[in-house]
Formats: sequence, structure tokens, C-alpha cells
Amino acid sequence: MMHSATNALSILGLSKNYGQFQVLKDLELTVATGAIHGLVGLNGSGKTTTLECLLGLQTFASGEIQVLGQTPDRLHSLQGKVAAIFDAPSLHPDLTVHACLQQAQWMCAGAVHSPEEVAAWLGISRYLKFKIRQLSLGNRRRAAIAHALIGGPRLIILDEPFNGLDAGGVDDVLQLIADLNRDQGISFLLSSHQLPYLEQVCTHIAVLHAGRIARSDAIETLLSSSEAQALIRTPDNRALEKVLAQDGRTEVVGSSTEGLIRVNLKELDSAELNRLLVREQIAVQELILERATLDRMFRELTREAGP
Amino acid sequence: MTGFLAALRLELHTGWHTLGSKLILFLPALLAGLQLLGNSVINAGNQARDGFLGGSFEASLSEHAYGFFVDALSTGLTFLALLLVALGAYSFSHDRDTGAVRHLVIRVSSRPAVLLAKLIYFHLLALLALILLLLVSYLISAWLWEFGPVVEDGFELIGEQEIRQEIALGLRLAIIPLPAAIAFAVLISVVASSATQAVTMAVGVTLALDLFKTVMGDYADFLYARFQPSLVDQSYLADVSRLVRGYSDVLVDERILQLNSWTPWPALLIFLTLALLIVARRKL
Repeated sequence: MMHSATNALSILGLSKNYGQFQVLKDLELTVATGAIHGLVGLNGSGKTTTLECLLGLQTFASGEIQVLGQTPDRLHSLQGKVAAIFDAPSLHPDLTVHACLQQAQWMCAGAVHSPEEVAAWLGISRYLKFKIRQLSLGNRRRAAIAHALIGGPRLIILDEPFNGLDAGGVDDVLQLIADLNRDQGISFLLSSHQLPYLEQVCTHIAVLHAGRIARSDAIETLLSSSEAQALIRTPDNRALEKVLAQDGRTEVVGSSTEGLIRVNLKELDSAELNRLLVREQIAVQELILERATLDRMFRELTREAGP
Repeated sequence: MTGFLAALRLELHTGWHTLGSKLILFLPALLAGLQLLGNSVINAGNQARDGFLGGSFEASLSEHAYGFFVDALSTGLTFLALLLVALGAYSFSHDRDTGAVRHLVIRVSSRPAVLLAKLIYFHLLALLALILLLLVSYLISAWLWEFGPVVEDGFELIGEQEIRQEIALGLRLAIIPLPAAIAFAVLISVVASSATQAVTMAVGVTLALDLFKTVMGDYADFLYARFQPSLVDQSYLADVSRLVRGYSDVLVDERILQLNSWTPWPALLIFLTLALLIVARRKL
């Protein structure tokens, strides 16, 4: 893989150690210009370390990183075209929201938005005179997002952007990300544990596991590779399992504590499954269809890859 | 250069909106002013007592403003140095704790530029605080007492011009170690893992140096902190305070003058180089 001008960022062979512990092992990741790329991984898988390395906030043992054509230690020369929002809102607690946004304006050459404008987008106009320390966590996060947007960035990197936001706040942020991506062509790299939120907004997903990217692809491709599942309850689960085994077009993957059998619909759709069970005179008490989700795909992938 | 200027502008803006910088700016002058007012009250008490006991009124009245002025400067400079060390240590480490420094290095400045902007900012702050301290001390001293030569039995021991020259020398020698003190604080700020640790370490080491310099013998002469006005004051300004009262004709020893003039600069360079090296590798 090579660095390309069509990529917003690319990471080649990134390795990083904390003492003896190797947290990133030859990691490779590309975010295309205009993409909303989600980065998911278990706790301690190295998501934040990856983001910090590519933002030039910590050094790494080996590898190459290009962000909008610059190396991490030269990001400042882009003068605000890359912005980041961190897990903890990284704003000076003793400054007012307005003062923070004004500082963000000064950080970016030819800032394209005013503090009032971005505050209005995020719904924090009435808090402009409040100090950051006086805001709730959710509003601090909104202020941090406003801070990132003020310079009209080409790439925004977000680490756990939904932490501390209420349901309405999450919806606003998701909508804002989608709008900025569609209207202004801003690329995003989002690291989050909130897989359902990522599924709503991301065009691509990378799964980071055991220090490597286990899978990175367009979200449709990833979901299409994961089979739909059905949860079935019958008075006689043993008979059900026998029928399914004889048919061979499904795979029983487990059972829940509530007595539901989980079945992978490999070559069947739910209607065909239903027909099969009726034909074999299996009395079905409950049949629940579960479509492929990012959450399930992630669980399968991290289980397959091992610790 | 753009990154450095942007970082300096942000530093000034943050300073304008936060308490720490205002403390550095106003507290030394305020304490010096309060000390002068306190001295004036004590002086008035002494005069009243002497009046009752039949002592000489003239002897008390001959106390002139220079002595109090120099004492006020010493007090102000002592606090100024301590406040600069505390806030210097707090600055970078606090920005790292809050994450505010991350936006700077991602968007506008290199790490060395951020650090140098902080150093320059603290020097500007120190300069302003010093001007304010001089102004307040001089005006209050002039209001409460009269500036004049040291006279004993009608004979002029030290002329006013000589007094002013010695005060200027004492002040210059007292100010020379301040950049090294600031650089030391910024180094600690870069090294420490939190703002609390940085302030504790920087103030603790500064106070420890102050206390132990008396037992370090001649080795202390190679320590920048030896020449600062401090709680255990060995600076030339302390000698000037006695000199302008006519108690002593002590003039600065040439060897000490040279050490005072030159020792702080290598210390400044060492602290600055270390801070720049560490900040380039430090996780932010």
C-alpha cells in the first residue's frame, strides 16, 4: 500500500510499544477523502493510541503516517485543516465558550466561520458567556465540536464523540457529521464504542483488534458478509435442531437462557425458514429475525481473531 | 514564526482571562504597598513612643524613604519570583492536563514554538509586574517619607545619586536570575505528569534551594537562586537596604558581582535546552 493524494489519511506499518507491551503491530489504515470512517475495537485495543500517533501527540516506534499529505509532526503547517475532538473535551476550563472559540479562530488561517455561527450549529449560543467549567459534559462536548469546526477543516478526527451526550445530542451530532460530510466534503475518522451510532453515520468501518486492523471496508460490504440470524422458541428444541441439521441450509450457533435457539440463516430467508418449520410440523412459539448489525459483525470478528 | 506568534497571542489571551496572570501582575506590587503602609504605621508608633519618653523627634524623622523603598522592592521581588515559578510550572502541565495544548500543536504551532511562547509570555508578565512594583513602591514611599541623602550629625554619608546607583545595581542583580527561574519552572512543567505535581515540585525545590543555600558554602555562588531576593535573602538588594540607611558601607564584592551577572545564564540555557528536548518527545 502507498500513500495517495486521494486519501485523507494513510497509515503504513505503524508499530507502537508501551515498554515491553506492543500495542500497535504493523497497523495499516487508509481513510479516503470524503469518507466517514469509523474505528472500532475492544477496550485497550489501541484506538486512542492510533489517533494520538496520527495527530502527532505521541511518538511511535516505526511506520509512516500521512495526514492530508503531511507527517504528524508537521500537522500544524496545515493551519487548522485538521481538527480533533478528544474523549475529554480539551478546552481551557477557565475560559468562556466565546473566548475558546475565538482562540480556535486564531489557530486557523482564514477561519471560515465565526464563534456565533458554530455555536448556533451546536445549539450552545446561550452558553457563549459561560466558562467551560460551568457547562455540563454534553455541552462541553458540543463546545469542543464547535471549536473543531470553526476553521473549516478538511479532516476531523473524533475520539469517542458521543460520550456524555443525551439521545437528542447524539442525534444532533450524527446529523451534523452527515451534513458536513455531504455539504462540505469533510472527511471524518471516528473512534467509538457506540457501534449502533457508527452504523448510522459511517461509510466505512475499520475493526482494530490485537494491535492490527482486522478488517476495514465499506459498511455495506462488511454487513453483507455477516449473515442474518433468527431466534426461535419451540416446545421441543431438540426436534427443531434435528430438522435444521437435516435441512443443512442453516447453522445453529447457540441458545439463550430464555430457551431461544439462535440460527444463522446461511442460504435461507426468514419466509423459507418459516415454511420449513411448518412443513416439518414444528410448533413455533416465537420467531425473531435479526439482521446483520455492526455490533454482531464486530463480536464475530473479535471472537474469530482471538485475544 | 507564524506558529510562535499565534501561540504567544493565545497565551496573552488566556492570561487576560484567567486569575494566575493577574496574581503575578498585581500581587507583588500590592504586598510591597501593604508593607510600606505597615512600616509607616510602625514608624508613627515609634515616633509617638519616643515623643512620650522624651526621645529625639529629629532622629526618627531623619529616616528617609530609600530604605523602605528598597525593602518593598525586595518583598515584591521575592513574591514575584515565587509566583513566576508556581505559574510557570502550572502553565504547560495544566494545558496538557486539560488537553488544550493538543489543539495548538495540531492546528498552528510546533511543540518548541508553544514552549518558547510560554517563556516569552512569562518574561513579558515579569517585566510588567516589575514596572508596576517599582511604580507603586516609589509612589507610596514618596507619599509617606522623603527621598534624600544619608545624613549623620549634619554630615552627608551617602549622596542621593550614589544611593540611586546602588539601588539600580541591586535591582539589576536581583532581576538577572529571574529568566533562569522561569526556565526552571517551565522545565518542571514539561517533565511533571500533572499540574499539581509540577507546582509542588517547582515551589518545593525553589524553597529548598533557598533554605539550603546558606549551608552550601561557596558552591551556592554557582546557583542562580543564590542571587534572587528570597525568604533567606542573600541578594545584593538586601545589602543595599542596609547601605541606604547608613548602617553599612558594604559595597558589592567584585567576585560576587561577576558570579551574579553570569551564573544564571548557563542555568537558563541548560533548563531551556532540556525543556525543548523533552517536549519534543513527550506524549501530549
